[in-house]
Amino acid sequence: MEYVYSVLVMIGIYTIMASSFNLIIGFGGLISIAHPIFFALSAYASALVNLHWGVPIPLAILLGTLFAAAMSVMLSLPSLRISGDYLLIASMGFQLGFVEVIKNVDFAGGAGGLTGIASIYSGPSRSPAFVVTTLTIAATVVSVVHWLTHGEYGRAIRAMRDDEECFASLGRNPMAIKITIFAVGSALAGLAGALYAHYFQFLSPEQFGITQSALILTMVVVGGMGSTWGPVVGALLLTALPQAITFLNLPPSVMAPLQGMLYTGLVLLFLFVRPAGLVAKRLGQ
Amino acid sequence: MLEFRAVSARYGKLAALIEVSLSVPDGARVAIFGHNGAGKTTLLKCGVGAMPGIDGEVSCNGTRIVPGAVYRNTRLGIGFVPQGHNVFKNLGVERNLGIAGLLHDKRFVERVYELFPMLAERRAQLAGSLSGGQQQMLALGMALMTQPRILLLDEPATGLAPVIVENVLASLLRINETMKTAIVIVEQNVKATLPVVERALILKAGRLVWDGSSAELARKEDLWTWF
Ligand SMILES: Nc1ncnc2c1ncn2[C@@H]1O[C@H](COP(=O)(O)OP(=O)(O)OP(=O)(O)O)[C@@H](O)[C@H]1O
Ligand SMILES: [Mg+2]
Repeated sequence: MEYVYSVLVMIGIYTIMASSFNLIIGFGGLISIAHPIFFALSAYASALVNLHWGVPIPLAILLGTLFAAAMSVMLSLPSLRISGDYLLIASMGFQLGFVEVIKNVDFAGGAGGLTGIASIYSGPSRSPAFVVTTLTIAATVVSVVHWLTHGEYGRAIRAMRDDEECFASLGRNPMAIKITIFAVGSALAGLAGALYAHYFQFLSPEQFGITQSALILTMVVVGGMGSTWGPVVGALLLTALPQAITFLNLPPSVMAPLQGMLYTGLVLLFLFVRPAGLVAKRLGQ
Repeated sequence: MLEFRAVSARYGKLAALIEVSLSVPDGARVAIFGHNGAGKTTLLKCGVGAMPGIDGEVSCNGTRIVPGAVYRNTRLGIGFVPQGHNVFKNLGVERNLGIAGLLHDKRFVERVYELFPMLAERRAQLAGSLSGGQQQMLALGMALMTQPRILLLDEPATGLAPVIVENVLASLLRINETMKTAIVIVEQNVKATLPVVERALILKAGRLVWDGSSAELARKEDLWTWF
């Protein structure tokens, strides 16, 4: 049962990750691979302020989330000033660089990882309570992303992407929209990271590598970029599928490459067969 | 009043605008002519701050136009309708007007509809499905939503049938008369434009080579040699 709970929590966490990454790449058109690092920065920040300063966990999670947002501005503000392509390049540096930084910071556990992180809940109903919390937050995140990308602000985002020059000449600031989208998306990734930290109670820098960027991107592409439900479907599918394969009881030497091929295969399959993803984006109004 | 003081602009090594000085008083109607690549678009872009690094200075009623900060400059009362692409094709007519309307007075939409009843009949239609002339009207309406004191228009009538060209130009005249908005229009169609403006400027290879009344330019026998 504990196993089922942990899969459900992971589905919730990946739903938050995919949904928020979709906000950035699918709606905002901002290409970055640094999504997992904001997850990591917040996870570590939340765990550490609780561990070292005794900040209560809910407040620690909030601080971690805000820290992720602040760090995202450090990345997006200077690079978007130059160009969108520059964001991609800078995000690679951010992603690769911070993993190295975390590995070498002793009070964050270093390369060996951070242990002894406090849990939000305790007692026998710890896991079910966590499942409910994570899935509720995931549902809220999906609603927030939907609300942001539809309605008045959503139309401004679409207009900005359609034609930036025209958008600016109407007195609207394209940079403000891009930086806001990036910060909100990164903050949500941070929220997922902090939840993760206080559930699994262990963080290792290796977990937040570039393969995570690929996994989250796959979820968004397979589910459907720029749609509300796409990333949810993608997260569900790509969290459950690898778990399902483990039931086949294959030897690890077959298992690892099979999981890798699963992602590659799915992306290729979808690019050819269903480029808009499982949940195709609605066009028009 | 929009003022250019010895403005030069370049794209890399290419000088697109060389030491242009001019001023557009409140309520004026000015046309900018010149051959392809003469620097007309560049001049308008400098006016709204869309050229990042320029020499010289542009100011609006004494406030410096900061190069690279278009959205802030428009708030000084400068409306800019870019060349070609100037409506959001995937949004409906009213939503297009609302993009600027988010910042400004929403009730102003009704004034725009009074000016262009054609738009009022098509509030929900996607801008991309409007005809070329209708899109130009919408672009004008959108620029008006920011309630500019001066309107910079880059070839608003290009590619339109002669009747529609007359239509667009007549709307500009109406805007100028009813709202006292100054109009600066870049146009290839000299003949159709001259009657609706008071003053004309001619750019040649980035330099301002003529600045005078439109009537005077119209009288010139050697009109075409200027281009
Ligand atoms: N983005 C750009 N990059 C490099 N050169 C440019 C760019 N935009 C314009 N130019 C060059 O600058 C010069 C002036 O261009 P500009 O667009 O101002 O001309 P124009 O008078 O508006 O022409 P047209 O009537 O064709 O619209 C041209 O030689 C053009 O090739
Ligand atoms: Mg031009």
